[in-house]
Amino acid sequence: MFELLPDRLPWWIAGPTLGALIVVLFVVANQPLGASGAYVQTSGFLRRRTGVATWRVWYFVGMFAGGFLATQVFRSGSDIRSGYDALRDAFPLGIVIPLVFGGAILLGYGAGLAGGCTSGHGLCGTAQRSKASVAVTATFMATAIATTAVLQLVTPL
Amino acid sequence: MSTTTAHPVRQQRQLNAIGLLTGALFGGILAGANLHEFDSIHSFLRLDDLYIAWFMGSAIAVSAPILWWLERRGTDTPLGGRLALSRAKPEAHHVKGGAIFGLGWAIAGTCPAPALVMVSSGALLGLVAIAGIFLGLHLRERQAMRELVDLTERVPVRN
Repeated sequence: MFELLPDRLPWWIAGPTLGALIVVLFVVANQPLGASGAYVQTSGFLRRRTGVATWRVWYFVGMFAGGFLATQVFRSGSDIRSGYDALRDAFPLGIVIPLVFGGAILLGYGAGLAGGCTSGHGLCGTAQRSKASVAVTATFMATAIATTAVLQLVTPL
Repeated sequence: MSTTTAHPVRQQRQLNAIGLLTGALFGGILAGANLHEFDSIHSFLRLDDLYIAWFMGSAIAVSAPILWWLERRGTDTPLGGRLALSRAKPEAHHVKGGAIFGLGWAIAGTCPAPALVMVSSGALLGLVAIAGIFLGLHLRERQAMRELVDLTERVPVRN
């Protein structure tokens, strides 16, 4: 709608702002800014489980809303699209959809097993100097970079 | 923590509001950094553009020393008791989970938070990613439940 945000914020603005947000959530609520935990709580909420941390459900809604504000209101607005142009150039849609779905199942399963994802371990865990988080982060970074290199070798990606 | 017992409902409402606000700011920052774009993630994983490394690294470089100092001086948070940072030791499940997550990260080209921003930016295949993440977390939860049941059945009940 408006064009208040540039196409990409410089990292030295986006990164330190995110760092400040991590500190704020710890100072106010003593909580890490983890996304996969929000999925777990939202899933429990949708299945009417008891003992759901409702604030994490609001956090889940918030991530969606913040993304909408930034892309559709503070920027000129982005079109309805697949979001996977590079994959769609390389593979037909009948392969892209199961590929994304399968990859995402691995994301969910891995985050569940490791107890967190890129935000919970990668950002907040390492910021707390947790050795477990450093181990998780180093492992997923190395695995993802190696997998990408292999995908580039064996697929038209 | 005395205020927790005094106003549990009001505290819960405040926590929900904080959740919505910090979630929105996090989603906004991720969108501002274009992390909802497959190309942003993949150009980093190809090591063509190290923006994400600088982005994550600078976020940690800003927050880690402040959190260290806040914990050392002793900080009482209004909604979560005394500030206490996690110092978990690495175990096998961390490395296994990290490896599986990394595989998924490379294939799906997104992770849990950016997948939500993908959808709100109009990228519809983000819905497929979100569904997969929910399913994967659910599969792990079910497996953990079964392991727990096995464990309790194996442990003899002491009277």
